[in-house]
Amino acid sequence: MVSLFYFQLLSAGLFAIGLYGVLARRSAVLIVMSIELMLNAVNINLIAAASHLEGRGSFVRFDGQIIAIFIITIAAAEVGLALAIILRMYRNRSTVNVDEIDIMKW
Amino acid sequence: MTGLTENLDLLTPEFALAGLAFLVLAVDLFLPEDKKHLLAWLSVAGLSGLIVLAAVMLWGEDESLYDGLLAVDDYSLFFKIFFMGMGIFIILTSIDYVKQFLDHQGEFYALILFSILGMNVMAQSRELLTAYIALELLSFCLYVLVAYARKSPRSNEGSLKYIIIGAFSSAIMLYGISMIYSTLGVTRFDDISLALVGALEVSPALWVGIALLLVGLGFKISAVPFHAWAPDAYEGAPYPVTAYLAIGSKAAAFALLLRLVAEGFVPAIDRWDQWQLIISVLAGVTMVVGNLVALAQRNVKRLMAYSSIAHAGFILAGVAALTQDSQLASNGIMLYLVGYSVTNLVVFAALIAYFNISGKEMISDMGGLAEERPFLAACIAMGMFSLGGLPIFAGFAIKFYLFTAVAEAGFLWLAGLAIFSSLISLYYYLQVIRQMYIESAPQESPPESPATGELVGLEGIPRASLAASPSILLVSVLAIALAAVLWIGVYPSPLLDTIEAASRAILPGT
Repeated sequence: MVSLFYFQLLSAGLFAIGLYGVLARRSAVLIVMSIELMLNAVNINLIAAASHLEGRGSFVRFDGQIIAIFIITIAAAEVGLALAIILRMYRNRSTVNVDEIDIMKW
Repeated sequence: MTGLTENLDLLTPEFALAGLAFLVLAVDLFLPEDKKHLLAWLSVAGLSGLIVLAAVMLWGEDESLYDGLLAVDDYSLFFKIFFMGMGIFIILTSIDYVKQFLDHQGEFYALILFSILGMNVMAQSRELLTAYIALELLSFCLYVLVAYARKSPRSNEGSLKYIIIGAFSSAIMLYGISMIYSTLGVTRFDDISLALVGALEVSPALWVGIALLLVGLGFKISAVPFHAWAPDAYEGAPYPVTAYLAIGSKAAAFALLLRLVAEGFVPAIDRWDQWQLIISVLAGVTMVVGNLVALAQRNVKRLMAYSSIAHAGFILAGVAALTQDSQLASNGIMLYLVGYSVTNLVVFAALIAYFNISGKEMISDMGGLAEERPFLAACIAMGMFSLGGLPIFAGFAIKFYLFTAVAEAGFLWLAGLAIFSSLISLYYYLQVIRQMYIESAPQESPPESPATGELVGLEGIPRASLAASPSILLVSVLAIALAAVLWIGVYPSPLLDTIEAASRAILPGT
């Protein structure tokens, strides 16, 4: 079995890429996509941990998978909401570039 | 240990609250536009009924549901009643505003009800995933509510910043949860403390997990390095939503954080106490930065945003001071949350009443208010005194109690910093009072021509939609809230008795 460490490495890498995307991207839509990447990193971590923790108890552990399913569902709702707000922004201001969304500062 | 379907009746208030929210959504479809305010009264009546139901049914209950995922105890009962009561007052203060300035009135109240459901579950969850789901239920409602003034670019902008930073912080928090899960294999708060006690060493992966979890929660309570969203969301949001952000969502996030720390970290304090360091540093930075940046604000909403950041710092100091053998700090936190929320209610109800008649939100616009509207000016002034922590008002009693608790837990430097920074805060609170009482009204002669499309204020509100004077409803809400502020300031002991019962539920003590 592949050791848990490699999964955690993969997950940390994915999370870091997502983090970079959130900080470096200028388009609100791409920022939302980067946040999705971060959530997928979380899911990999959870599912890998769930399958490796099995040995500790006498029964198969589901909780990691269950948390992942919840996260997928909530993430879908979150993207829907974020895109609706971005769309509203586009209608009012004709831009989704976060550098130009600066009426309010400090 | 109870099974999955036993004792489900203990969740009746939550089921009924969800039902009430859907009922409001459904009735909304059949009401004509001019009768929509009835939905607010329906929500208020429902919430009042639920408060009575919860108090009668759950008093003294101490049960764990769904294999320990949810706790029905005095702590969750206290917060349930607190949240639903605050919800009633928020709805009452928003009726006029919503009628005058917003479209889609029905969904507004339904969203507030759903978010109260989220807050209730946050206060009673004792497991990370449950807490996360409840937190998201609350946050989603707030994202929509902040964007509720659809046509206003500022409302859109505030909401966009809020949702992006909110989703980002959720992702960070979830990564923390996944690290905790992959090192300890558990997600329940009490299991976390057991695992911490039993662990040979606290591994770096667990460190990362707990730190990221605290960072994620830090975003939600707007602690300082993670506070950037708060001023923009507060400023852009419609006024009642700003009040709701300051009063409701902050208290809910603290309810969750308090239970997490008290049940998850405090029992393992002999083994691993670095969380105290993280939280106390966050608290110190938050109160100083919040208060200093507030000095420069010219918009009242933004001022209140920074003031709420600063107060989050004070409450965080209380969280850092939690110990196993003393309930002083947790009592102090809960008393602070109640007193702070009631005070904020006074300030915001008065500011909303002022906005309804003037459409303005800059501090400089408030000159001469004491002559035009003496009652509103007096309410704002008393609220500001209370926020600044002057005696007679709630602000003094709650700060005194909390800072004493912080000092007794050994965090003298933190208590000193808190007192120092609340002295700074007096300056900007008094600035508002000075504007109302000493400055004269700004030289603005409204053009007498009946220009139909004349717009006022930052939001560009047509003058026609403004009210002539504050409604009876707002005035009576103000009177009740003022009475509560004075009552907590002068005679808090009945409230403290309830709070002590609540903190015994999370910190059984020795």
